[in-house]
Amino acid sequence: MPPRLNIWSACRALSTRARAFAHGPHSAPAVLARGLADNTASRFPGSSGGDGSNLPPSMTPASEPPAYSSEENRVALDQLRLIQYGINPLDPALEGHKFGLPELPLPPQKHIKHRYNEVVEQITRLLMRDGKLAKAQRDMAMILNYLRTQPPPKLDPARPLLPGAPPAHHLPLDPVLYFGLAIDSVAPLIKIRAFKKLAGGGRALDVPMPLRARQRRRIAFQWILDVVNKKKSMGSGRTMFPHRVAEEIVAVVEGRSPVWDRRMQVHKLGTANRANLNHSGVVGKI
Amino acid sequence: MSAPRGLRCLVRPSAAVRSTAVPIPIPIPTLTPRAVPLLAASLARSAPFSTSGALAKEGNEPRVNRRKGKMLKLGKFKKDKIDRGRTPLPGERKAYRKRITLSNDNAIPVPWLTDLGPADLADSQNIARVLAIPEEVQDQLRAAEAFKTTQCWGMFRKPSVLVRKETVDLASQMQASADQQQTLRLVVTGDKVTGKSLMLLQAMTYAFLNNWIVIHFPEAQELTTACTEYAPIPDTNPVQYMQPVYTLKLLQNIRRANEKVLAKTFTVSSHQGLPQNITANTPLLTLVSSAKEPDAAWPVFQALWRELTARRGTRPPILLSMDGLAHAMKMSDYRSPSFELIHSHDLSLVRLFMNALGGGLPLPGGGAVLAATSRNNAPRAPSMELSLAQRLAEQAGAAAADVPQKDPFFRGYDDRVEAVLRSVRVLRVGGVSKLEARALMEYWAASGMFRATIDEKTVTEKWTLGGSGVLGEMERAALLTMRI
Repeated sequence: MPPRLNIWSACRALSTRARAFAHGPHSAPAVLARGLADNTASRFPGSSGGDGSNLPPSMTPASEPPAYSSEENRVALDQLRLIQYGINPLDPALEGHKFGLPELPLPPQKHIKHRYNEVVEQITRLLMRDGKLAKAQRDMAMILNYLRTQPPPKLDPARPLLPGAPPAHHLPLDPVLYFGLAIDSVAPLIKIRAFKKLAGGGRALDVPMPLRARQRRRIAFQWILDVVNKKKSMGSGRTMFPHRVAEEIVAVVEGRSPVWDRRMQVHKLGTANRANLNHSGVVGKI
Repeated sequence: MSAPRGLRCLVRPSAAVRSTAVPIPIPIPTLTPRAVPLLAASLARSAPFSTSGALAKEGNEPRVNRRKGKMLKLGKFKKDKIDRGRTPLPGERKAYRKRITLSNDNAIPVPWLTDLGPADLADSQNIARVLAIPEEVQDQLRAAEAFKTTQCWGMFRKPSVLVRKETVDLASQMQASADQQQTLRLVVTGDKVTGKSLMLLQAMTYAFLNNWIVIHFPEAQELTTACTEYAPIPDTNPVQYMQPVYTLKLLQNIRRANEKVLAKTFTVSSHQGLPQNITANTPLLTLVSSAKEPDAAWPVFQALWRELTARRGTRPPILLSMDGLAHAMKMSDYRSPSFELIHSHDLSLVRLFMNALGGGLPLPGGGAVLAATSRNNAPRAPSMELSLAQRLAEQAGAAAADVPQKDPFFRGYDDRVEAVLRSVRVLRVGGVSKLEARALMEYWAASGMFRATIDEKTVTEKWTLGGSGVLGEMERAALLTMRI
C-alpha cells in the first residue's frame, strides 16, 4: 500500500506558521487561476466572496500585517501580487539562479574540453614530456606571460605574417593571438610525400601534398622546438625552457628565426615538384 | 750508445722524430753495459720498432697516417663538437634565475592609482584599495631584497599593493609601538600563497615611509643551511658563530636601504678596533660604510647594533624582519669543531634576531620585530608550529583546555624555540574578502592583464577558484593561466 494513502500522511502536510501572512489589498482571484474567464464565483464549494472569511482561524491574521522589513521583501511581495493578478513577473533566466542561466548553445570556450584556444591547446600537448600535462600547461602559461612582458616585436617586411594581422604594438596585450599568429605564419602549406620507385630507376617520386591546419601547426612547432633544443640556455630555473621557446616565438615574428628558411625550402621543393601531381602513378592515389 | 736508442723505441714515432731533429738532453740513469739486459740490447740494435729514422731523412715534418676517402670512426660516442655560441659566465645563470623585474611597459598605466603616503597603510579607510609604492621606496625595498621572483611584479606598470584588513591591522600596531617606544613582536603565519611575505613587504614599506631603520633577513635558510662561511667568536660561552661574508652583505644592504636615516643618526660613543676609527658624533652611515672586508664585518655590525640600541640620544624606530622562519628554528647544518650540529640560535645573527623576537632585547626608539613563516620551503619545526597554534588559541580567548598541548610521545620539541615564541603575537593571514578581491581584480583589468569585465560573477568565480580568496591561487587562476 503506498504510503500516501495512509491517514497519517496527512500529518506531513500540516504546517504551523508563527507569523501571520503578509497580505496586501484583497482582490478577486487571479483570472488565469480560475480557468473560466467569465465565471466570477469561486470553484471551491462553500466559498462565497474572495475575502477569505471562511478560512480556518489559524490562517487569518490576528492583527495588522507587519511592516515591510526590507526592500527585497517588498519587491518579492509585489511580485507575488502580480502573480495573483495572473501576470508572470519572473524572468526565468534571472530569478531563482544566483548568477543567471548560461547562454545556450554554450560558446566554445565555456565547454570544459574546449576551454583553451585551439592553437594553445594543441601546442601544449606538443610541449608535454613524459605525460606531464600540468607541467606543460604551466610552461605554456609562462610562454604567454613572457610574450606579454616583452617589448612589441619589430616586424620584418621580408617575412610577412598572416594577412590581417594586427599592428605589432597590439600583440603583447593579447599573447594568445601573438602566439597563434607566430605559429600560423611560419607553418608550411604543404609537405613532400615520396612515392617509392615511381621516378624511374628505383628512385622515389616527390609529390607535394596539402596539409590540414592542425598538421601545419604541428610541423611548425616541431621546427621551433628543434631550434629551441639546440639553443644553449643562458639561465636556469623553471622559467628557462618556456622562456627559450618564447624567445624563439618572438624571433619568428621578427623574421629572425631559421624556421622561416625551413619553410621556404619545403615550399621551393613543392613548387619544383608540382608537375609530379600529374604523374600517372600518382593521379588516383591522392 | 745503446741505452738511448733502446729507450727511444718506446717513444711515439712523431715524438721520436722531433727528438732526433732537436736533441733534448734526457737524463738517463747511467747503466753499465753489463747491466743492460742482453735481449733488449740486441733488439735495440737489430730491429727498431719505428721507421722514424728513415722518415726523418726524407723531410723533417711529421706525417700522420690518414686514410683516403671516408674516415672510419671507431669510437661509438665520438661526436663532432657543436658550437652553440657563448657559454654563460659563472654566476650568470643564477643571476637570470634571481632577476627581479618591477615593471612592464606593455601594461596600461592605471589612471586612478595613487602613491602610498606615510600614514596610508595604517588607515582603515584604505582597506580594499590598491596603492602604488613610490619610486624611492621601491629602490629601498629592492636593496633590502624584499621582492621575490615568484611574485607577479613584472606584469604591471608599477609595483602596487592591495591594502588588506590584515595590513592595516599590522601597520597600526607598528604605529602604536613606535608612538609608545615599545617593541612589537609578531609572527605572520598562514596557508600557502596567502601573502605572508607580502605582509612583511608592506610592513617594510610602512617602515621606510616613516623613516624607520629596516634590517631584513630575506631568507633564513641562507643563514642556517651552511652555504656561507662561519667562524667561532672568541670569548663566548656557549660558543657562538659569526658569518662574516653574510654579515658584510647584510651591512651593504642596510646601508643602501637606509642611507637617508643613517646619515641623520649619529654615534654616541667612539669605537676602536674597527677598520676606520669611529669617534662619537659620527653619522652611522660612515660606520656602516667602514666595513669593506668580510673580516671586519662582524665587529662593524656589533658596533652598529650597539649604536642603534644605545640609551642615550634619540634613535629612530627599528624594524627587524625575517622570512622563512622555520629554517631558523631548528638545528643548523653547520658543525662545531667537535663535529656536532650547531643550533641555529648559536649563530650570532640568528641569535640577535631571536633575542629581539623573544623580548630580551628592547629597542630604545621602539620598533617591531616581525617574522614570517613559509609553507613552500620549510623544514618541519614542531615546536614552532605548536607554539604558534598555542598563541593563536590564546589570542582567540580559548579556554585553557582548548589550547593545543605537547604530544607526550614525541621527542622532537625544542625548548629554545618555545622560549622565543612564548610571548609573541601571531597574525594569521588567510583569504581576502570579496571586496578586496574585487579591488585587486579591477586593478588587474585596468592594467590590461586580465581581459574580462569585472562584475560580481567574475569576482566570485576567481575568488572561489582561489580557495575562498587565497591571493596566490587567484593570481594563478586569473593571471598565470593559458586562458588569457
